[in-house]
Amino acid sequence: MSSVPQEMKDTSVACSKWLDAHYDPVANLYTFTSCIALSDLHGDGDNKLVVGDLGTGVCNMKLKVYRGTGLLSESTLLDLPTGLVSFLMDLHEPRTPAVAVASGPFIYVYKNLRPYFKFTLPSLEVNPLEQDVWSQAKEEMIDPMTLKEMLEGIRDKAEIPLSVRSLRYLMLDPQEMEAFVHLHKDQPIRRQTVITCIGTLKKNMADDDAVSCLVIGTENSDIYILDPEAFTILCKMSLPSTPTFMDVTGQFDVEFRITVACRNGNIYILRRDSPKPKYCIELSSHPVGLVRIGRNVVVGCTHETLHGYTQKGKKLWTAYLPAAVTTMALMDLPARAFQAVLVALANCEVHMYRDKNLICTIKTPDVVTSICFGRYGREDGTLLMTTKGGGLIVKILKRTAVFDDKDSAPGPPIAQSIRLNVPKKTKLYVDQTLRERENAVAMHRAFQMDLSRLRLATARAYVKALESSLTPVSESPTEPLKMNAVVQGLGPSFKLTLNIQNTAACRPVMNIAISFLYDENLYSMKTAFFKIPLLVPGLNYPIDTFVECLSDKGISDVIKVFVLREGRSAPLLTAHINMPKRHDLTL
Amino acid sequence: MGLFDKLTSWLGLKKKEVNVLCLGLDNSGKTTIINQLKPSNAQAQDIVPTIGFSIEKFKSSGLSFTVFDMSGQGRYRNLWEHYYKDGHAIIYVIDSGDKLRMVVAKDELDTLLNHPDIKHRRIPILFFANKMDLRDALSAVTVSQLLCLENIKDKPWHICASDAVKGEGLQEGVEWLQDQIRAMKT
Ligand SMILES: Nc1nc2c(ncn2[C@@H]2O[C@H](COP(=O)(O)OP(=O)(O)OP(=O)(O)O)[C@@H](O)[C@H]2O)c(=O)[nH]1
Ligand SMILES: [Mg+2]
Repeated sequence: MSSVPQEMKDTSVACSKWLDAHYDPVANLYTFTSCIALSDLHGDGDNKLVVGDLGTGVCNMKLKVYRGTGLLSESTLLDLPTGLVSFLMDLHEPRTPAVAVASGPFIYVYKNLRPYFKFTLPSLEVNPLEQDVWSQAKEEMIDPMTLKEMLEGIRDKAEIPLSVRSLRYLMLDPQEMEAFVHLHKDQPIRRQTVITCIGTLKKNMADDDAVSCLVIGTENSDIYILDPEAFTILCKMSLPSTPTFMDVTGQFDVEFRITVACRNGNIYILRRDSPKPKYCIELSSHPVGLVRIGRNVVVGCTHETLHGYTQKGKKLWTAYLPAAVTTMALMDLPARAFQAVLVALANCEVHMYRDKNLICTIKTPDVVTSICFGRYGREDGTLLMTTKGGGLIVKILKRTAVFDDKDSAPGPPIAQSIRLNVPKKTKLYVDQTLRERENAVAMHRAFQMDLSRLRLATARAYVKALESSLTPVSESPTEPLKMNAVVQGLGPSFKLTLNIQNTAACRPVMNIAISFLYDENLYSMKTAFFKIPLLVPGLNYPIDTFVECLSDKGISDVIKVFVLREGRSAPLLTAHINMPKRHDLTL
Repeated sequence: MGLFDKLTSWLGLKKKEVNVLCLGLDNSGKTTIINQLKPSNAQAQDIVPTIGFSIEKFKSSGLSFTVFDMSGQGRYRNLWEHYYKDGHAIIYVIDSGDKLRMVVAKDELDTLLNHPDIKHRRIPILFFANKMDLRDALSAVTVSQLLCLENIKDKPWHICASDAVKGEGLQEGVEWLQDQIRAMKT
């Protein structure tokens, strides 16, 4: 077939590795990478896209499910979703995965897209002083204003922070306080934290369809691991700061590793049996995305950089990006044993990195805010992205696409990283290095001494040259001049051109003369002395004269040129012209 | 032996044997279609995704067909091209309900049409826009637009909508293909 339609050709040039399967600019999807998942919800091999849609951020929060190019179902969420995962919670047939949506202090678990269970984070300890103050208010022993002052006192000093109720009370206008106290005084005070991130961890088997625990990070800087069926807390770990991004790998019963990027700009690595972080990576700027790829961790930072670290926190590389990172995801294609990191940027591009090498760039019509790669529908290599404007983009990796590891980003050529065949160190070299190491001080001193001598000799020669005006440049402040001489011709007649230039900024030079000194037996000159006109600064004055060589013995001599100043005996400049030998044409 | 006879025997047509390649993405219904074409007593009840490929032989109106039912799964699609040389006709099956993967079906079709063993041959291609019974199925016209079939200028082709589970639309397509093969013979 010769005629591929024009429009197809264009897109294939843009990035021939991807097929544009679907683009809906008005899909009305507003979400982030943490709130989307691909899941075989119905166990029929036809993977769906599950989205926790943030709506406007205030209303219209929805749980949406996409199949192919269309919306399959949607249901209302009560609160803003902060994370969404799909996981297998039991071994019952059919093995359909459940969906967990984290929002506020709750996890809503859906099975077959129907609400199944609601998990609530354990409430935190309430400050006894705060409790006291409220009970006094309840018995009307203190008025609302006093209550406010006492709560403020507790807020500023106490170790245990105030509950949300007290904090809200402190924000009220005085006239609203009475009603607020009246409304809330009979309810017990509760202090609760909220979920910031969620992940899954296989329970005791590594298979793809193994049962998984939920792992949650809270605002209170804790990590909880929940039992998949009973939703009891199996394990609690503490971090120095609030977790924002999390990656979990391993199996709960065997060995696991949780990599968390925190709000203090550090990444902590938690292991089984260690309630405190095992390793810490201090970033130079705040993390905006975290992906674990094999044994390495790749973090995108606010300073438009991407860093690679080992699992133990050793920095491997840094890549500089052309724009800020909006989100990141792992591209994993197990069938082809291919892994890469997808980095969405604020300049409407998605970059694909393998280690620090940029191997593919995808241009998008809008800024991508959420991204995921995996099996969608029946296609294993599908890239799904939602955009800032609410659009949905689906691209499919071509079966024949190959990514060469060559870095397509401008930078040092590959040749630079080729190892040179450096020969082995010789005995002489080793002896020399040893000698240098032992006598370093003496060698340094000897060198410094020679250097000083060299400088002295240079300075002396220079001064001598200046004193006798032997240089072709005059340093005299009133007549700064430069001269060079050119000899042309084969002889016996030579043309001598002197180029004289006044190097002063603006002052002209006057009353200058030139005289030649030469062996009169060898050379003859029409005029051996002439006056020079006024020299305008900056211009080059070529002065020509002719020299006749009198001898035919094939000898040559030096002609000396003096630039003289009227009323001064010492010349301003001296130049020695080495005359060439005459080359008579032998006819 | 005349030149033309040589040609037909080289094509394998003299012995009235026709090799048909059945291609298309996984889950498009290739095996289901072929199963429907078999005599009812030989039809299989359960159809599972094909691994690699399978060969079916049957006779119809004086021609004996050998159908290569290729697997459409991504990892087996590179097997297709090894059979292009020996194929005399192609059946290309499309799942009209899978809008998302229409680009993939098109990409694989373009690769097929540009293959050196296919490119310069007048090999007839029958398209089945299968699963027309699905509620959100695309029409045969839309499918042929999405695959840009109008650009196939140098090969006879035909598209028909089908429902392989009930066997609807298959007969029309197969008759067209038989006409083409007979036309090639004479
Ligand atoms: N609704 C409907 N389903 C169909 C139709 N044709 C096939 N199917 C179903 O689609 C599924 C896949 O059919 P197969 O015949 O195995 O598809 P295939 O193209 O051979 O797939 P591979 O062997 O994996 O390449 C089966 O569950 C069929 O029942 C159809 O016309 N309508
Ligand atoms: Mg099959």
